Amino acid sequence: MSGNAFATRVAITAVALGAVTTAAGAADFDWKKFQGKTVTFLANNNPVSQALLTYKGDFEKLTGMTLKVDGYQEQQMRQRLVTVMNARSDEVDVFMTLPSREGEQFAAAGWYGDLSAMSKSHAAKDYDFAGLSQALLKAGTFGGKLTSMPMNIEGPILYYRTDIFKKCGVEKPATIGDVEAAAQKIKACDPAITPFVSRGLKPAVAYTFSNMLHNIGGSYMANGKSNLCSPKGKEALDIYSRLLRDYGPPGVVNYSFQQISALYRSGRAAMSFESSNELRTVMEGGERLKDTGLAPFPAGEAGLVPTAIGWGMAVSAFSKQQEPAWYFVQWATSPEVQKKMAVQGIAPPRPAVANDPEYRKWIDEQPVRKQWQAALDVLATKGSSEVGYPIVANPQSREFIGQAVQDLILKQKTLDQACADADKGLNELIAQK
Amino acid sequence: MVDVANTVTPDRQRAELAALSAPAVLFTLAMIAFPVIYTVWLGFHSFSSTGQQSFSGLANYSKLIADNEFWHGLWVTLALYLLSLALQLVLGIWLAMLLFNAKRLPGIVRSLFISPFMMPPVVAGLMWLVILDPSLGAANYILQAVGLPPSDWLASPIWVIPTIALIDTWQWAPYVALIVLGGLQSLPPSVYEAAQIDGASAFTTFRRITLPLLLPTIVTAVILRSVDLLRFFDIIYITTQGGPGNASNTLNIYGFRVGFEFFNIGYASALMLTLTVIVFGVVLAFNRLRGAVAW
Repeated sequence: MSGNAFATRVAITAVALGAVTTAAGAADFDWKKFQGKTVTFLANNNPVSQALLTYKGDFEKLTGMTLKVDGYQEQQMRQRLVTVMNARSDEVDVFMTLPSREGEQFAAAGWYGDLSAMSKSHAAKDYDFAGLSQALLKAGTFGGKLTSMPMNIEGPILYYRTDIFKKCGVEKPATIGDVEAAAQKIKACDPAITPFVSRGLKPAVAYTFSNMLHNIGGSYMANGKSNLCSPKGKEALDIYSRLLRDYGPPGVVNYSFQQISALYRSGRAAMSFESSNELRTVMEGGERLKDTGLAPFPAGEAGLVPTAIGWGMAVSAFSKQQEPAWYFVQWATSPEVQKKMAVQGIAPPRPAVANDPEYRKWIDEQPVRKQWQAALDVLATKGSSEVGYPIVANPQSREFIGQAVQDLILKQKTLDQACADADKGLNELIAQK
Repeated sequence: MVDVANTVTPDRQRAELAALSAPAVLFTLAMIAFPVIYTVWLGFHSFSSTGQQSFSGLANYSKLIADNEFWHGLWVTLALYLLSLALQLVLGIWLAMLLFNAKRLPGIVRSLFISPFMMPPVVAGLMWLVILDPSLGAANYILQAVGLPPSDWLASPIWVIPTIALIDTWQWAPYVALIVLGGLQSLPPSVYEAAQIDGASAFTTFRRITLPLLLPTIVTAVILRSVDLLRFFDIIYITTQGGPGNASNTLNIYGFRVGFEFFNIGYASALMLTLTVIVFGVVLAFNRLRGAVAW
């Protein structure tokens, strides 16, 4: 027997033994272990939690526990979380978190409970930890500690009007340059239509801008310093702000996802670069179902590097019932629940769920859903979760990016001034501990 | 015969009253004092981005003096305050005179006049956000229908402060009107009869009699609106979040973001205490003025 064959046999035996051990452990898994306990869940009132909480009763029936939901809009949820965590209170057991935004910060503050061990040793047989997106698990791991379990996968994608493209003789853009050329043609062909819309609101810009920067081949940091004034960084700032200034709607500096989706859904925008999560909102009423095409944002010099992030569920480090809290997290991020959420338009962070026959059937019902899934597949395979600077003060770094973009949209600074001012503030942030 | 045992001396009565009310008074004082003392304490501490805290003395206050964003926020706060207050006083007094003189105005019309301030500010903010949307909103539609150019409203760094002032005026001018209306109804009719006999015109009567007599009421309205306007938050947060750029970043919005978005609770506390001192200063100044114009 060759060395390789022997190694293979050993590996197969080890895997088989591991599988038997896991199955035996899972057979003993007792969902009712914490019957009678109450778990408090601090939720962001977004489509992800709304879809999940449709099945709240199932969790309570399965475990005999009570789920107390404390729901707020995103910013108010963070405000509540900061208050609770600074007081080291055990009021919250489980909370929703965006690792790409606050992960570094919350991990450094010690607010996340460690899920590394529980996710493996305290999991039911069908939990399928390995089936979760490895990229998203990695994005939720800080200092070797797994801090949250992925609830969904999302990222900005291009929604475009096939009927307007046809009328104006425009092809589906293949490159960033094509987007601008298409916008120019549409502006000339139908002045009543907004050719292109994306995020212009200062704190919201980084979400879409990051995709542009990475596609062009830029990076936020180089050699421990801000890299926004590099040629690629400047190119990204210039194109992104020009697209919004010359082809965006008036008042785009106040646009976030609500305004963008409303404009596109009303039929007044030809291209919208917005979150994949907005599919359901955009398609409300059904008017855009027949004339919308979806795709990842077109390639730049570095190809396609879409932004791919996801909401995660974390257990508070100050919770006095970490294990019951983990039971809720486990149930909420299980393949069964994520499959149910998927057919409500919440893209699953599990490739296996994305291939599930029932989910595929739902996808095949509408061409738009097929394109949506195809775009999400690109996000899952090529995505980057870097939104803003990969530093503890990530939320603040997004302000500087947004400010530079707004300065350019409003023509308040030159490109050199805008990026130099942003770099100055960003380098101070990077230097902070 | 006097029952000595049942006689309650005034001193004892006072002591009993003090003992009975002490828990309520102490509770109220604690409820007021604790947040203030805690904020003062926080203002002397520095918090890193990761929430680590350390005593920093006056560092937050010296940082504040050197912080351009603070001075800009102060300027925006004062500009918004003065513009909104002026608009609300002029419109509020005018509306009050209208309601006072229109004796036959049906109750429902009076109620409609004063209804905006009963609307929650968040609802008002969202409603105006939709109306003023440069692409989809009704405001630009109306402007264009009458041949005027559209405006960027809340998205323009130049127009954002006047626009927010207009929204606040829409909501609170009726409140000022209600206060002034109360003052008008309490003015002595004999003064007006004397003015009428002397042949004073309506404008002279207003300038020489109504306005001076109304001054204490107007100053009361100014104090109430000053407190609200200097710590104005909800509508700004709903409509612009301090933007575009920093054009509507008032001290209150800035402090909120520093505290709850960037997690620098110590510096946010220093900012908020400074704002509180400004509010107190303005209220005290107007209180003294109210004493001076009382009749």
